[in-house]
Amino acid sequence: MSTLSGARIATIARKEMVDTFRDRRTMLVMFLTAIAAGPILLLLVLNLAASQAEKARELRLPVAGREHAPALIAFLERQQVTILPAPGGFEERIRKGELDVVLDIDAAFGADVAQGKAGTVRLVYDRSRDRARASIDQAEALLRAYGREWGRGRLLLRGVAPQVGLPLTIEARDLATPQSQGSLVLFLVAFYGLFAAVVGGMAAALDTTAGERERASLEPLLTTPALPLELATGKWLAVCALNALAVLVTLSGFYLTLRFAPLPTIGIPFLFGIAEFARFVVVLVPLILLIPAILVWFGCRGRTFKEAQSNVSLLLFAISILPVVQMFMQRKEPDWLGWVPVSAQYALLTRALRGEALPALELAQSYAVPALLTAGALLLVARLLSRESVVTGSR
Amino acid sequence: MIVVEGLAKSFGRRGEVKAVDGVSLTAADGAITGLLGPNGAGKTTLLRMLATLVVPDAGRASVDGIDVARDPHAVRRRIGVLSDARGLYLRLTGRENIRYYGALHGLAGAALAARIDRLLDTLGIGPIADRPAQGYSQGERMKVAIARALVHDPAAILLDEPTNGLDIMSTRALRALLSSLAAEGKCLLFSSHVMQEVAALCGSIVILGHGRVVATGTAPELIARSGQATLEEAFVQLLGSGEGLVA
Repeated sequence: MSTLSGARIATIARKEMVDTFRDRRTMLVMFLTAIAAGPILLLLVLNLAASQAEKARELRLPVAGREHAPALIAFLERQQVTILPAPGGFEERIRKGELDVVLDIDAAFGADVAQGKAGTVRLVYDRSRDRARASIDQAEALLRAYGREWGRGRLLLRGVAPQVGLPLTIEARDLATPQSQGSLVLFLVAFYGLFAAVVGGMAAALDTTAGERERASLEPLLTTPALPLELATGKWLAVCALNALAVLVTLSGFYLTLRFAPLPTIGIPFLFGIAEFARFVVVLVPLILLIPAILVWFGCRGRTFKEAQSNVSLLLFAISILPVVQMFMQRKEPDWLGWVPVSAQYALLTRALRGEALPALELAQSYAVPALLTAGALLLVARLLSRESVVTGSR
Repeated sequence: MIVVEGLAKSFGRRGEVKAVDGVSLTAADGAITGLLGPNGAGKTTLLRMLATLVVPDAGRASVDGIDVARDPHAVRRRIGVLSDARGLYLRLTGRENIRYYGALHGLAGAALAARIDRLLDTLGIGPIADRPAQGYSQGERMKVAIARALVHDPAAILLDEPTNGLDIMSTRALRALLSSLAAEGKCLLFSSHVMQEVAALCGSIVILGHGRVVATGTAPELIARSGQATLEEAFVQLLGSGEGLVA
């Protein structure tokens, strides 16, 4: 038996990297997903959040029938709400998304109140529009506050303590630190950091494996003294390098986006500085190494690029759905999740973003399984490449 | 020197397709041995077993005394293979393609560069060597593939239908190259289904049909044995029918 040659592995890795760097399509796809998908989407979300925050501060409320309830209008104006006349056909305009919310005061409001009945106001909105939610909530809260104040005044007039009608006092204590607010932004940054580590090397991995078979260059390669494990390792290293590059580009994108984003207006002193950048890299290292090994294995099993691609897309779907499931999980995460690749990394990334330090033990835990899987996948690739079926095409 | 004894290989779930069925032959150093046979005769499978890509079911084969099944790695160092599949890396230049294989064979530096230059010169592809392989013609690709197979100066050279897709000028150049390699003392084993080529080039001819050796000898010997006028007619007669040429 012959021993592995580091020089040959380096030769293989170098050749695969040169080959991929010259592949404009692969490089373009890689950089577009790295740059466009993450940071640009993030920028859009941040802008949305900023404009919502703006909206919430100065509510502009179109009112129909303001003459029926002058006291309510006066209350709203005291609360810094800009009262506008409601345009005709406002329901249609809300449906189209041109208006967020309209207050419609019943024509019989004054008469009802005078008779001691409850006056009716209608708040018209379309709650399926995320953009409108802040305005809706604020208008609703203001109307409730007005109702309470009014009721309290009536009770006082009748010599009843207001507490009689309001036996429950709710005191809210929000434990979110400033950094743990903006959970959507938090999720996006962690998710796309992961995403980059997962898809960054995909095109290159498939090209060096299934592509090699497709263009009939694998058979001559296997007649050289390069050992199957050397080929597997060299190709894997090249893909890892590209994957690492994709992650670095994505994280740099976040770094720049979050530096120039209008963060203070949203009220998130959100930090993605050099320290967070470094923590991200430390957390993502196991995936940067593991995913290429799996992709190379998948790629070797496909006889054509297309075949490998369809095999891989399912894998990628499964991997990318994990963090989404985790985000929507209501309870605290179970401890064993710290061993599961991707899930463990996602949890650590969100912690890094909340400004927490990374505990060494959990970090080691998140490295363990990917390390084993990486070695296993490489051995599988080597075994696959040493089979004659890889040349003869039979199964 | 390549020695093959009773080599056999079957494919299919129950081994029902006997691609090579008990082949024995010897390819001497300093000579070109031709494997002549119709499509599907087992030439490619036989060469793949010698190239250590396919493991024989039975029999043995050795290159310079090294068994292909027992020490494939040592055999690979010794052989240069122009296989049935001969894809280049299209984004690399011809020179880079050749250099990659040289490096995998453990060559480096000035020795490798000089060796590549000499091959490019011999094959007449120096002027295109630094262009990406993407733009090469069929003949240029083939020549780069040949240079790639010869970069480590192998003692034994296996060529699977090397003249496929070459024009007359390139074919003649290739023949001259192969003859000079034989004159250097290399052992060449060369498969083809083109009669004239084998007759023109090979000192010794092995005719394969349905995975078996049908006849062995020089072109004149084979013609004499069959009692026919030309090698082509001898070939048809030895195979027992005209089917091979139609298939």
